[in-house]
Amino acid sequence: MMRKLGTIVLLVGALAFTLAGAAAAAGTIKIGFHAPQTGFAASDGKSATIGAELAVEQINAAGGINGKMLELVVYDDQAQPAQAIPIANKLIGQDKVPIAVSGSYSAPTRSAAGVFQESRVPYISAYAIHPDITRAGDYVFRTSFLGEIQGKAGAKLIGELLGKKMVVMITLQNDFGKALADGFKSMTRDFGIEIVNEYEYSIKDRQFGSLVAKVKADDPEAIYASGYYFTAGPLVSQLRAAGVAVPIIGQEGYDSQKFIEIAGKAAEGVIITTSLDRDSDVPETKNFIEAFEKKAGFKADMVAASAHTAVMVAADALKRAGSTDSEPLRKALAETHLKASTGTISFNALGEVVKAVQNQVVKDGNWHRHSVIDDPGLLAPPDK
Amino acid sequence: MLFFELFVQGLIHGSMYAMIAVGLTLVYGLLRILHVAHAGLFALGGYLGLLITNATGSLALAMITSALIVGLGGMLVYRLCYQPILDRPPYVPLIASIGVFIAMEEVFRLVFGPYGLTYNHPHLQSQVTLLGLNLRGAEIGMVITAMVLLGGLSYLAQNTRIGIAWRATVDDPEIAESFGIDAVKVRYLNFFIGSGLAAVGGIFISLLSNLVEPTMGGVPAYKALAIIVLGGLGNVKGTLVASLALGVVEAFGTIYIGSYLDRDAIAFAFLIAVLMIRPQGLFTGR
Repeated sequence: MMRKLGTIVLLVGALAFTLAGAAAAAGTIKIGFHAPQTGFAASDGKSATIGAELAVEQINAAGGINGKMLELVVYDDQAQPAQAIPIANKLIGQDKVPIAVSGSYSAPTRSAAGVFQESRVPYISAYAIHPDITRAGDYVFRTSFLGEIQGKAGAKLIGELLGKKMVVMITLQNDFGKALADGFKSMTRDFGIEIVNEYEYSIKDRQFGSLVAKVKADDPEAIYASGYYFTAGPLVSQLRAAGVAVPIIGQEGYDSQKFIEIAGKAAEGVIITTSLDRDSDVPETKNFIEAFEKKAGFKADMVAASAHTAVMVAADALKRAGSTDSEPLRKALAETHLKASTGTISFNALGEVVKAVQNQVVKDGNWHRHSVIDDPGLLAPPDK
Repeated sequence: MLFFELFVQGLIHGSMYAMIAVGLTLVYGLLRILHVAHAGLFALGGYLGLLITNATGSLALAMITSALIVGLGGMLVYRLCYQPILDRPPYVPLIASIGVFIAMEEVFRLVFGPYGLTYNHPHLQSQVTLLGLNLRGAEIGMVITAMVLLGGLSYLAQNTRIGIAWRATVDDPEIAESFGIDAVKVRYLNFFIGSGLAAVGGIFISLLSNLVEPTMGGVPAYKALAIIVLGGLGNVKGTLVASLALGVVEAFGTIYIGSYLDRDAIAFAFLIAVLMIRPQGLFTGR
């Protein structure tokens, strides 16, 4: 079985290689892309890949980059760092991409970032949140918020916009949850928030019976819970089922129609900090939301919008640089000022994005605008 | 009050573990195989239960059909994966089993997509106040179903011809066969019952989280192994007690030491602690 599978993979690989070769001859520009297509993070990987593909289709439909068509070279990293490094080497050495985008989680993105930096190939992280990613060097950029920044926005949302002070934190035990918690805690004093208790859970947990019982006993004014739609959906529905009625504040990990599907009525009123505004009047965002749903057959989410944004940023830099050489391209990226589906993108000296946080609330089974946090002081990313 | 509530939550979770782990310990008792693919069958039960419920609107029908189909699936796993390699050293079927489990996860992902499925109208979500506790229908349903099914299983083992044949085969397969017991039939029955139970467990879990996903067997795959070791490998009663005990330990552990150890770490720390005191498990084997 394995041998047969191996042969198929080889054949497909060979085919892809010949096709890619033919395309290159016709004058295309390749953008490298890696995201989990299999394994535990495959759902986010799928959304991200469709978002990236959509961006490429839109650019090609509009005439491509200075007359050349874009081509997305996609690899499956299974959200594993061990996969990301060979993929980065393959993208650089074999596919010879001038620029690459990560549609993956922090661990693989962090590993790949070093490889791209060393080969001086510009690399954009679409939604991985670990602070060390951009610290790999000046060729690495990020078009999404750092976890800490979003955590700070969450503190402002709860303490100032909602005016709730007694907060229970439910933290996901991984880099995403920890970064959010750190950012949140760093601002509690500024917004007068008191943390009644903090609990942690593992990404594999779907049953929160004991945690819910304890939160109920804590009787907070609001709950700040980090997670992904597949943990947050069950968590929120179990909290509500136990009679916990206080506001629940999440983040971009919730940002999927699937969250509302899982939590059902319990999702109503949940507010998150994210980067995709469903009620936006900005044409870039509106068009993306419509085009994505048409292409994917399901509603757009943060991951899809982020991958779409990152590819758009890459394409914009290719266009402005007028070349696929590494230095002009890096320079063009650093000077980005682009309206994209997740906001207006520009980078600071470290390659971190500076943009507003979109707060979305579940109303009548859909995400809608709750408020926007656009406070440059609060949201300033680190610049070194 | 909080203590009582946590205790009850632990028992609820423990009864889910019990429905999975019993099938696993039955297989170990009979064949000395660590049947990791059991967790794949658990997930299959969740998928079938959800699909049938969404199609027909009947949860009862979904449970019965899914338990039967998954029971047959368990027999198929035995026939195709274990029977041809029973004479090999124990790690051979173990590796085969892990392979089957991974393959099942990926098949679920390819067929049903990576996003997971949800119920159109989740059943048993109504609130019941019992002994001053707010419980969901699905939680109570899971405990009652586990009690009824496991009680029925114990009656079957003690009081019926096939049950006696099964126990005899577990005790000594060769002597049992010399008395005319069909060992192969006993094995099929064993896989059928164990897998059917896991399917029912899978459906209740999916009702509690309203989510069936390709990786839903991942946690039971290794935690059930810890439980059967804890219960004394092959010992059904020990497995039941270990399931409930682990449920309760986790319920308290996630609250009071959750910031240092996650739920899985608590489970395995508990396992190590017990094995240091009683290396043979809470109860001696068979």
